[in-house]
This record gives sequence, structure tokens and C-alpha cells, in this order.
Amino acid sequence: MDNDERHAGADWGEAMSTAEMTIGDGEPLPEDTLLAVRGLKKHFPIRGGLLRRVVGSVKAVDGIDFYIKAGETLGLVGESGCGKTTAGRTAVRLYEPTAGEVLFNDPQMGPVHIEHLTPRQLRQLWTNIQMIFQDPFSSLDPRMTVGRIVAEPFLVHKMLSGRALQDRIAELLTVVGLRPEHASRYPHAFSGGQRQRIGIARALAMNPKLVICDEPVSALDVSVQAQVLNLLEDLQKKFDLTYLFIAHDLSVVEHICDRVAVMYVGYLVEMAPTEELYHHPMMPYTEALLAAIPKPDPRRRSRPIRLPGEVPSPANPPSGCYFHPRCPYAQEICKQERPPLRKVAPEHWAACHFAETLKLQGVPRLSQLPVDVQAAPSAQPSTQAPSAP
Amino acid sequence: MASVPTASQALQSQATADYVVRVEDLRVEFRTSIGVTYALNGVSLEIPRGKTLGVVGESGCGKSVTGLAILQLVPPPGVVTSGTIGFRSRESRTPVNLLEYERMGPEMRHIRGKSISMIFQEPMTSLNPVYTVGNQISEAVLLHQTGEHKEAKERAIDILRKVGMPNPERIYSNYPHELSGGMRQRAMIAMALSCTPDLLIADEPTTALDVTTEANILDLMRELQQEIGMSIMFVTHNLGVVAQMCDEVAVMYLGRVVEQASVEEIFYDPKHPYTISLLKSIPRLGTNRKEHLEVIRGSVPDPYSRVTGCPFHPRCPSFMPGICDTTMPNVVYMPDSPQHFVRCHLYNDLANHQAVPSGVSNSIGGNGQ
Repeated sequence: MDNDERHAGADWGEAMSTAEMTIGDGEPLPEDTLLAVRGLKKHFPIRGGLLRRVVGSVKAVDGIDFYIKAGETLGLVGESGCGKTTAGRTAVRLYEPTAGEVLFNDPQMGPVHIEHLTPRQLRQLWTNIQMIFQDPFSSLDPRMTVGRIVAEPFLVHKMLSGRALQDRIAELLTVVGLRPEHASRYPHAFSGGQRQRIGIARALAMNPKLVICDEPVSALDVSVQAQVLNLLEDLQKKFDLTYLFIAHDLSVVEHICDRVAVMYVGYLVEMAPTEELYHHPMMPYTEALLAAIPKPDPRRRSRPIRLPGEVPSPANPPSGCYFHPRCPYAQEICKQERPPLRKVAPEHWAACHFAETLKLQGVPRLSQLPVDVQAAPSAQPSTQAPSAP
Repeated sequence: MASVPTASQALQSQATADYVVRVEDLRVEFRTSIGVTYALNGVSLEIPRGKTLGVVGESGCGKSVTGLAILQLVPPPGVVTSGTIGFRSRESRTPVNLLEYERMGPEMRHIRGKSISMIFQEPMTSLNPVYTVGNQISEAVLLHQTGEHKEAKERAIDILRKVGMPNPERIYSNYPHELSGGMRQRAMIAMALSCTPDLLIADEPTTALDVTTEANILDLMRELQQEIGMSIMFVTHNLGVVAQMCDEVAVMYLGRVVEQASVEEIFYDPKHPYTISLLKSIPRLGTNRKEHLEVIRGSVPDPYSRVTGCPFHPRCPSFMPGICDTTMPNVVYMPDSPQHFVRCHLYNDLANHQAVPSGVSNSIGGNGQ
């Protein structure tokens, strides 16, 4: 599908913007930015009382900034309830944002402000943005055949029909590692991994630029998880895709992402290239998260940093830095002032008053570990079996 | 059946170790209207006293069913068709076969919750929403330990404090929905530990939790284990958690234990191609990124079908035609490490040279019956 053809007839009007958008504390965006978000907020009202009046709000996303460069994978991590899914959905206006700017840099059309689009324009823009969901069981309609599921985007956008549509479906199924004849079957006939492939085929149907992967592998078994991760990497190379990869498994995120953004109670607390973030975290929450990853290695048993208390509720967050009640390094200022997300190193943003002074521990590089730890089988694959009889 | 004698071999090699539960050739079927599913096809494993045995495998491999079968809690239409489950409590070291007890009989009810207790993945479904947390904990105490309500309450508050609840007196009168996921799992653990069991069966206890909460819960389980001296059977699919928590590991595939060894050997000297593939398919922290992960081709077969020969052969990278697809491999012990066994034809040579340890009787069948 050609992009010019796709946007033909769309009047982008005021949404078209060449205006400079900045990130964090006034930093200009990199040139190849595909999606940039600034001050994005999504508050859900809490209703109470007899008249169901709004008595408060859950600040699921409360002013976050991030950008994704074309062709890269940005990981969005955090614990459940931190707002990462809401952030992903609000950024592309699946949820109507409460406040904030979102710039989508369409390669053909130039930069577009998503928050200004009319519903009609939005539908057209969405052909560029697709989603892959976590649960491969509930995200596919059990009463549609696989072919119909993958065909739906074309029918919605009235793009293909008849023979051409059938060919395209066969092609898409082949691309994700299924067979064309699977098109006539129903989702229940497929395993979890295969269903996730169907979901991926559906997401690829419109030749999107940006794919939002919301926990795409967390419902899968490890062996199948590896297959799907490899597939996502191959497709990214093949179709020049950009991923926003929302996940809570930090080992998977390290493997697949170029840059990682960490969220805590509706805020972005740190964003950096993956290597940098994992080896030199600059925000205490990131340090605690990294320390808590159960490392698949009995020679690297670690006592995690114990975070006291619980993740605060976004309906009733603490004062100052939201992390201060649990932070081992908290000072007086942390209780009063919320630290802004600021640039602390090239491409490295952190929201912490003491980012530069704290010497935080990251994950050691494998090459820095003792030799006996490096010798783990996953690093040195060989069956070492006696010769077959 | 060629594979049956191997179970007793397993016993002979390990009979010297002190164990809490020894499962031998356990078979469980689910007879449904569309066919019979063989959930367990001869599981043999041993849970060492005071240690943690990790049971790992992909979904559908029978790891949860094994845990449920030990407590005779396999839900209908599941039936245990054969096997023995030897249990040795702290007090009486003579093993008893739990499968000889009536499912709902007094002996089994005495063991459940007192000598062997269990925690589940989703605490909300196992806590009763209409009773307070304290009520549910003291129920177990009242049943097994004391008839005094006041004393039971004190003990319940005590154990809530022990599992790290910030305000145990208040939590005692809270309902489950008032607690967060991590707190509920702590309440579940408190309930399970209230009678200081010999064995705790933990079925994916941290899978639904966030990493920081998970780390705290694992820490807590380790601490309490040392304090009480109980054994843990830790059922999980997360190899990271296994490496951090377990002393021994049993790897399961399609209702069989395909390899069991110390955690060190499983991670640094795995033998079964399935174990090796599993380890290679997980991303490793601190390594090069953007490299392809190794995959196990295909997926776990449909439980209604039965594969001839080794059940892993259609996916195995070391598949040997004519051998793997025709005969079920026997259990082979590693010559240099007597606790390490594997069920794979690659190691058939080793089996022929191996001397069977002598002087050890096939204990559980004899003593327990």
C-alpha cells in the first residue's frame, strides 16, 4: 500500500505542524524522531456519592515525555499499575489524552499533531500505527476465521477485496510463519504462540510505521517466547518497523530494545539507551528494579534491594518525588519537590535530585563476571553428549 | 512397559538421602468426553528434607498436577491410575504411601494443611472473599493445633508479623480484597505456614507479582524455610526464579521428569536436550543484544495425542531416527554425580557401564504398605 495513496483526500489542516517540539527541559528532538510525546496526561475520573459526581481522579499518566526514533525499539517498563499501557494507548489517542502534545512524524506527510486530528483524520493516521496485545486468547475473535481476522483492516479501510485480498492474507500469514491454508481455521485451533503470530499478521496488514507491542510475549512459554521475539526482530528489519515495546520482563526488554524508558506511578523516571540504563542506572527505582530481576544463574544469587512498602496508588500519590517513601537514598528535598525529568548524560534522562551524585549499581556486563559464571551453558552451547549408539 | 523399572532404579540411587516426599511412577489421567488426556506418565521425583526442589517445564507438562496429586487434590475428571507417594513426616520417619489414604478420609485431612500445605499462583482465588484474612488463618490453627480461639488469634497475628505484614493486628481483620497482590500472597504464605508444615508446595507463587514484590516474597520464603526447616516444592516456569531459589531441579516434559539434578548441574552441566534448549531460549542479562535467541522448534504437542518413543523427539535438535521415535528412553544416572539423572537415548552408553548402587532396598513399597 502506497503512503501517498493512503493519505489521498485527507485534509490535515491545523494538525500539520512544522513547529519545533522539545523534550524534557527544552532539549530539541532528534531528527529522525517518529513519535514524540510531551507532557502527556491521562486522568480517569473517580465518581462517588449519590449523584455520581467526580470526586477525584486516578492520574494514570501524569505528564510524561518521550520520543521514539524511526526504526528503533523503545522499551516502556514498570510494575503493574504504573501506567505503561495507558501511556502507550494515550500516545496514539486510543484513549483521549487529558493534556499534552503528541507529534507523529509521517515520512510522507511530515509531522502531525495527533491531539488535533479529527476522528476521520485519526482513522487514516491509525493505518500507520498498529497494536499487538498481550493475551493471544482474548485479542482474537473466536467466531472469525483467521483469514477474516487478518482481512479486517483491509475491509475497514476499504483497501483490497477479492483475489488481491486473498493473496495479501496468504502473504501475511507466510511472513509471520504460518501457512496460507490456516486462513480458513478458527483461532481455537491454534496454540498460544501461533495465535500471537496471527495477531502480528493483523498488525502488519496495513504496512504500519509504528507498532505498539503491549506485553506481546508475557503470556507465552519460554520456548515460544523466543520464537516470537525472533520473529519481531526479523519483521522489524524486513519492514523497517518502529516498536514501542511495553513489558515488565526486564531480561526480554534488554534483549529486544534499543532504548528503555522506566515508569513509576504515572511518571517517566528514567530514559536511556539500553546498555547505559542497565549498566549505569541513575535513578534509585531503576536500580531496585534491576536488582530484583531473578537471574537465571545459581552462581549469581543476589539479595535484592528490599523496597519497603508498596507502590503508591495513582489516586493518592505521596508528596514530592513519588518514590521517596521507598527510596533508600531519600533526603529532605525529595519529600517536598518532585524532580523533573532532566538530561543527565547524552541521551540519558533521569528524574532524581541526586542523579549525578549517587553511584548506583546496574547489571554487570557478562564479560565482567568471574570466568566460572561466564561458563554457563547458555553462553557456551554444546550438548557434550557421548556419541550416539 | 519398558519405562516402568526405571522408577525403582531412581529409588535405589537416592535412597540414602533424607527425603520428605518421594513420588514414584505417578500416573494421572483426565477422562473427558472428547478423549483421555495423560497428564502424568510415570513421574518419579524426590523432595529432599529441608531443601527446595524446583519443578520446571512449559505449560501443560504436568508440574501443577504433580503438586496437586501429592495432596490428592487432582480435580475430577482427573484420576491417579498408578504410582506411590511416600511421605515421611518429621515425627515418624517411616514412609507412608499417601495414595493409600481415602481422598477425603481423616488421615489425608490431617496431613493437608498441617504436614503438607500448598500456595497457589493467584491468591485471590484461593482466599475466601467473605471471611477476614485472620479468620482464614486461625481456621487452620484451630483445626490442627489448638481449640482455644484466643490462642489461635494470637498465633495468626504472630505468623502475619513473621511474613512481614506491616500492621498484623489490622490485617487480621481485613478482607482479602483490601490487600494488594503482594500482601495477599503474604497472607497465603502465612496461612500455609501457620502449622509449620514439613513440606510446602508452592505452585507458581510469584508469577502474578511484579519483580520487586517477587524478590521480597522469595526472600521471605527462604528465610522462613531456614527458620522452620521445611522443604519446598517450587513449581514454576521461570528459570530465573529456579536459579535463585532451588537446591535441586526436576525438569518436566509432557508428564515425565526428563532430568533431575542439583541446581548447579542443571544450569552449568545440563544433559537433556530439552533442558539445554530451554536454557538457551531465555535472554541472558548482560549479554549482547539483538542476537537471535535459540528456539525449540514447534510447540508442546496437543495433550490428546500420544507420541511414540521419546515425547521430545519431534522437537529435539539431537534427534536420532530409528531410536528416539521408537523406544522410550530409560533413566540414566551420570557416573560422576549420582544424584543427576536424565531420560535420553544420547546417554544409553553410560547406562551400560554403570554399576547399580548396592545394599539399598526398594524402601517405600516395603515399609509403607
